[in-house]
Amino acid sequence: MEEMIKTKDLKYKYKTTYEEKGKTITKEITALDDINISIKKGSFVAVLGHNGSGKSTLAKHINALVKPTSGTIWVKGMDSKDESKLWDIRQTAGMVFQNPDNQIVATIVEEDVAFGPENLGIPRDEIIKRVDAALKCVSMEKYRKNEPARLSGGQKQRVAIAGVLAMKPDCIVFDEPTAMLDPEGRKDVMETIKKLNKEENITCILITHYMNEAVQADRVIIIDDGRIVMDGTPREVFVQVDKVKGYGLDVPQATEIAYELRKKGIDIPADIMTAEEMVGAICRLK
Amino acid sequence: MIRDITIGQYYRADSCIHKLDPRTKLIATMVYVVVLFIINDIYTYAFSIAVLAAAIILSKVPLKFIMRGIKSILFIIILTGILNLFTTRGTHILWQFGILKMTLEGAVMAAKMVVRLIILIICSSLLTLTTTPIELTDGIEYLLKPFRRFGVPAGEIAMMMSIALRFIPTLLDETDKIIKAQQARCADFDTGGLKEKAKSLIPVLVPLFISAFRRADELATAMEARCYRGGDGRTRMKNMEFGKNDYRCMIVLVLFVAITIIMMLVL
Amino acid sequence: MPIKVDHLTHEYNPGTSMAQKAVNDVSFEIQDGEFIGLIGHTGSGKSTLIQHFNALIKPTSGKIYLDGEDINADKSKLKSVRRRVGLVFQYPEYQLFEMTVLKDVCYGPTNLGLSEGEINKAAKEALTLVGIDESYYEKSPFELSGGEKRRVAIAGILAMKPKILVLDEPAAGVDPRGRNEILEAIKKMHDETGITVIMVSHSMEDVAKYANRILVMDKGKLAMEGTPKEIFSKVDELEKIGLAAPEVSYIMRGISKKFDVPSDIFTVEEAVDAIYKMLKGDSR
Repeated sequence: MEEMIKTKDLKYKYKTTYEEKGKTITKEITALDDINISIKKGSFVAVLGHNGSGKSTLAKHINALVKPTSGTIWVKGMDSKDESKLWDIRQTAGMVFQNPDNQIVATIVEEDVAFGPENLGIPRDEIIKRVDAALKCVSMEKYRKNEPARLSGGQKQRVAIAGVLAMKPDCIVFDEPTAMLDPEGRKDVMETIKKLNKEENITCILITHYMNEAVQADRVIIIDDGRIVMDGTPREVFVQVDKVKGYGLDVPQATEIAYELRKKGIDIPADIMTAEEMVGAICRLK
Repeated sequence: MIRDITIGQYYRADSCIHKLDPRTKLIATMVYVVVLFIINDIYTYAFSIAVLAAAIILSKVPLKFIMRGIKSILFIIILTGILNLFTTRGTHILWQFGILKMTLEGAVMAAKMVVRLIILIICSSLLTLTTTPIELTDGIEYLLKPFRRFGVPAGEIAMMMSIALRFIPTLLDETDKIIKAQQARCADFDTGGLKEKAKSLIPVLVPLFISAFRRADELATAMEARCYRGGDGRTRMKNMEFGKNDYRCMIVLVLFVAITIIMMLVL
Repeated sequence: MPIKVDHLTHEYNPGTSMAQKAVNDVSFEIQDGEFIGLIGHTGSGKSTLIQHFNALIKPTSGKIYLDGEDINADKSKLKSVRRRVGLVFQYPEYQLFEMTVLKDVCYGPTNLGLSEGEINKAAKEALTLVGIDESYYEKSPFELSGGEKRRVAIAGILAMKPKILVLDEPAAGVDPRGRNEILEAIKKMHDETGITVIMVSHSMEDVAKYANRILVMDKGKLAMEGTPKEIFSKVDELEKIGLAAPEVSYIMRGISKKFDVPSDIFTVEEAVDAIYKMLKGDSR
């Protein structure tokens, strides 16, 4: 399988200044420290970590919005430091952000979806085709003439996803796309992401705080303090309840119940993630 | 109240005014505004207002909707009126109190300015209510094109305008929210003198500016992520096409200018 | 200080084609010291409803009584109403504006016209309640983490010493650690000071964990009202209006189909106990 994203010793540092007791202090902060990952084409990866852990900075590297201080990141083989590849990288790896209100450019849904292809200089007929297809893919074709301001958060976020889709990316980075949504909007967006991954074979990288979203990925990466501290299938990661909690994160509730039962001396498998698995495990115990 | 500002809002309707090419609407608005500031007598005013009224009826935008926009800036209108009323010099003194002098000339001037301002707001509201910001942007960009030779970045100016228009409703909502949040902390925006009032706005303005900057920053990042790199090389999904209606509108516009000129010469 | 809502209706854009009843003939009462969870689908009228509690918006019809008094009857008592009913909006950190944390929290009590000593004392007490210690007082609120900012903003309301604290999704958009800190601070405050809490939330898990009574809004109406056990046992009804029961209850319902465990369990701790008892064979 082909590699979509690869990093080697990726480091990102920035300087911050603040005032303390009347003195201005400049501090260098390492947001990302020696990141070495490889993400396969067509995979669905969830990235977890508490606020300020560096996960958003990593996301921005994938889209070449941020360049590494040292080390390298390749997107589909393109080095993000190669200026001539900048627009190819951004077209290859699209990005959906947290706040739907701050990423929609136009005041009509279809005009917003067309924004990306317009920037790429795609001919008019082709843009119209792409807008149609993208809106259909996120089930928003009924709203093409609507104003985004009147849509719900989940619908806005799907418009934003359509806007990225219309650029025909190979990979989409979702930076906490569900953080500001209600449960229904969250479900719609998650279903859209899974559909893109399964049906359109788009590599999806999902940054989230919701563990029930993370369990739906094929791979979970936990970042803490700018380093990758855990990496594996959701099962491999969440089974380590203490470690996950130590990074300020949660585990799925079924896993937590199993963990607490084991603490009480019940011999139940630790890697339970769903209600069905819990029922099955108890059947075997009885 | 703050949600009532209609400038920058788009009212969706299926009318011949909506369907006009944005360039037509922009030119018509500009010509109309110029005429408005040249004409001088009451008959020509009446005629101009009638033409605007016809345009409003054709646009299918409810009058109530347009009038709400005026209500929200009533303060500015009244202020303009008062300033003109007392600062215009004249010989026919109607009323005097200390250094405050109200003259007949002042009253006429004030009335004229207020009417002009109201018409100006109505006709620019009509433009934005019937034209989506992107259409407007495309129109402005096209009209600015000849100036590109002199280094005017037409595409960028147009994009900036369109984003400003896109964010007006968002920021108005935000203002409303912040005002309420500070009111929940017992903020008082109503009592006190001008100085206290101005000071009481700080807790609203600071968060509003911070939020506007944050939004601007996030939007810029999102635009960059979607490969925006200035106006060069961009294509458009929507083609601007001059249709039959646009030619009709242009003829109406020429007739309008001709008639006002004749009226001014005759009267 | 009980709060009573009597046939409250709020209509947006009345008399126009866009008229919409955001809150439609809602009545209920909240007693002193309760911890109320207010749940409902987006657009169900929750946010409109809570803005009535401190007279930020006025009802189209109906009344709200605070301690037996109609809050909209006397305009001069507006400040007193807003002091007694503290309303924390969604994303309250966006209303921070002062140079330092302490100064920002002082804004509310200053508006009440208290003396400088009282203001400082109230602000410091409020900050302590939300777990922000002295080392933060002179920091700029904009340097803090998301969860810390949120707690400072909540302290800004607490500094007015409200009897009733209304929070609109206090944990929205923060990471799990920040979420726990905020919710635990609210719970601790409720337990220690006896303040009445009304919490709007989308998280059924949080409501199940903290609330002692739940109000469910749907399309402007009060659809259900009861203890968490009563509300979450009606899963079908909840799902019909776009809500759900906490994740744990689905797990327990699955288990209860085959084994003898109670199905009306909504928190992890209770679930662990019930399964443990069942497995050890001494269930009830």
